[in-house]
Amino acid sequence: MDSTLRRLALVTLTCLGLLAGAHGLLAVAQGLLAVAQGEAQEKVIKIGALFAFTGPGSYFGVQDKQAIDLAVEQLNRTGVDGYRFQVFYEDSACAPLPATQAAKRLLEQVKPDIVLGEECSDATLAVMPLIAAAKVPLLNAGSSSIKITEPGNPWTFRIMPNEVMQGESIAKNASERLKARTAVLLHENTNAGIGNADIFERAFTRHGGKILLRIGFGRDLNDFTSIATRVAGVGQIDVIPTYTLEGQGLKITQALAQAGVTKGGDGKAIQLGTIWLPFGFDKKAGKAADGYVRIVQFDPTEKRPLVQDFVKAFRAKYGEDPTHINAHGYDQALLVADVVRRGGRDPKSIRDLLAETKGFRGVTGSVQFDRTNQNIMTDTIHYVETQADSSWKVLDWQ
Amino acid sequence: MPDVLTIALQQAINGMVLGSLYVLVALGLTLIYGVLVQINFAHADIVTLGAFAAYFFTHRFGGHYLASIVVALAVGAVLGWLINSLVFVPLRHRGSELLPLIATIGVSILMENAALAAFGPIPYAFDSPYSARVVRLHGTYASLQHLLVIGVATVAIALLYAFIRYSVLGKALRAVAQDVETAGLMGINPNRLVMLTFVIGAGLAGMSGALLGPILVLTPFAGASVIVKAFAIVIIGGFGNMEGTILAGLLVGLIESFTTQLLDPGLIDIVVFALLLVTLAVRPTGLIAERREENV
Repeated sequence: MDSTLRRLALVTLTCLGLLAGAHGLLAVAQGLLAVAQGEAQEKVIKIGALFAFTGPGSYFGVQDKQAIDLAVEQLNRTGVDGYRFQVFYEDSACAPLPATQAAKRLLEQVKPDIVLGEECSDATLAVMPLIAAAKVPLLNAGSSSIKITEPGNPWTFRIMPNEVMQGESIAKNASERLKARTAVLLHENTNAGIGNADIFERAFTRHGGKILLRIGFGRDLNDFTSIATRVAGVGQIDVIPTYTLEGQGLKITQALAQAGVTKGGDGKAIQLGTIWLPFGFDKKAGKAADGYVRIVQFDPTEKRPLVQDFVKAFRAKYGEDPTHINAHGYDQALLVADVVRRGGRDPKSIRDLLAETKGFRGVTGSVQFDRTNQNIMTDTIHYVETQADSSWKVLDWQ
Repeated sequence: MPDVLTIALQQAINGMVLGSLYVLVALGLTLIYGVLVQINFAHADIVTLGAFAAYFFTHRFGGHYLASIVVALAVGAVLGWLINSLVFVPLRHRGSELLPLIATIGVSILMENAALAAFGPIPYAFDSPYSARVVRLHGTYASLQHLLVIGVATVAIALLYAFIRYSVLGKALRAVAQDVETAGLMGINPNRLVMLTFVIGAGLAGMSGALLGPILVLTPFAGASVIVKAFAIVIIGGFGNMEGTILAGLLVGLIESFTTQLLDPGLIDIVVFALLLVTLAVRPTGLIAERREENV
């Protein structure tokens, strides 16, 4: 009987293992097929893509990949100036060590013409020197830390608004539109979390506001009830800027509502956020997120044909609406295509032409780089507010 | 604005809830160690799969949340049976203590990646009917989910304690923990009891997954996020010691909530692991020192 049970157990676990293995083999086969196809065509731009596909930031990678795959599929139907695009994804896990290992694999094995990613600032800061040393341009769409562009790394470009642009905008709006005078800052203890909180604190104080409490925490913190209790004890709070990944963000929002601090819990404070949270957050958080105001990088209700075509194509391919993370992933691929259209053929020419970008309009907004390769166009900043029924509406704020 | 006493009371409630969750996860670990003197690194993934089992039972199949706790317990128990049958039994027969330990790391990686492939990396919103219902009393509050965690943990601990102390099977388990060979000579089938230990330990892990799912962040890494604390609790409490594990679990929960209130949540790990180091230095056998044979 024991041996029968063991055989049954063995068969079950083997099946589970085979399923997991088959999934991996399929991915490898797809990669090999892509390589074979790429080699069959003479003119290929190899795009390395460093995104998190595991760990707490993996929702970024999944959504970036969806949009980049869609863009490349569309671009490769006709090609661009005789070139087709081939993307090589590596899991950089939203953390410095796996990101550097993934970057090394990309640079050594693929030798890309350009690298896209990462989303998390710590990971981007870690891979920047490696990619610059290999003289390959890095096009970033999701990291907010000012350290990424401020020193002026000639090989690193960023199309999203950095933490200073976002922080100044949020603090100004909190002060002028919401008439906020007091704030509590909640942030993860990463470059981006600390940097965003610093910028808000400086800007909000300059506008006459007062920071009542500032709490930083690690990504391994699970329960936010104690933090909410502490926040509830500091008195009248107008706004709570929060800088976390989606998983922790959900729990913070629910804990603050349970503590009766935020509007979602019949309190008075309004949570504020930046582009860290994807669309769909509102539904997951439920009533607790009522009144949450945050920056997103994409307005799907925008009437521009490019935006509406993207929304339509995304729905057709994936059966769901695109998020702003999808949108900035899509723009990264479109910008690479734009550079190739202008004559970019190899890492050096792609870098030079990226720096000269002017008048490019993607689905998130416009792109024009300054001397530090930071996109200076602020039309990529859009605000949304969560409604009582867990939907969201676009706010006419800048 | 709440007064100091109310805040202290609230943080004590928060700590008890968190501590109860940790105890549920750690009890399975300590039970298995107590009988087998083996560490099961796949324990975290049983917690995760228990949470997902409860999630799909409630959110996809329309089952009631309370029933999903039983489903998660059953899923955990089956996984425990599988891991013991496929990993521990064959490797234990080879006579090495290291092989099963390393093998469970492999099982853990396999299960985590299988969960990632099956469920994806995006956090799930696992709300139980009790998550948003909050009970308020004299300035303090707790969601019904939090109260449920404390209730289920208390009942589970009481049942487990009664089973081990007073039932025939429990006594046989203790006999195996004391001396496997002698227990075998007394007519006890050690293999069946080791299997029972695994099934109970993993069942507890699965059940704790169903309870922590609505409180923590549900991803394929959910279990991994609490397992490090659970290991620390097992060491602080005394490896294989049930009472010590319960005491240490609640202590760690309270340390977390009061460190958040008085210091900074970024210091939680420093305080908890400093306690672990002090315990190892001062009382290497754990908070409640017992002779090895009296554990479990």
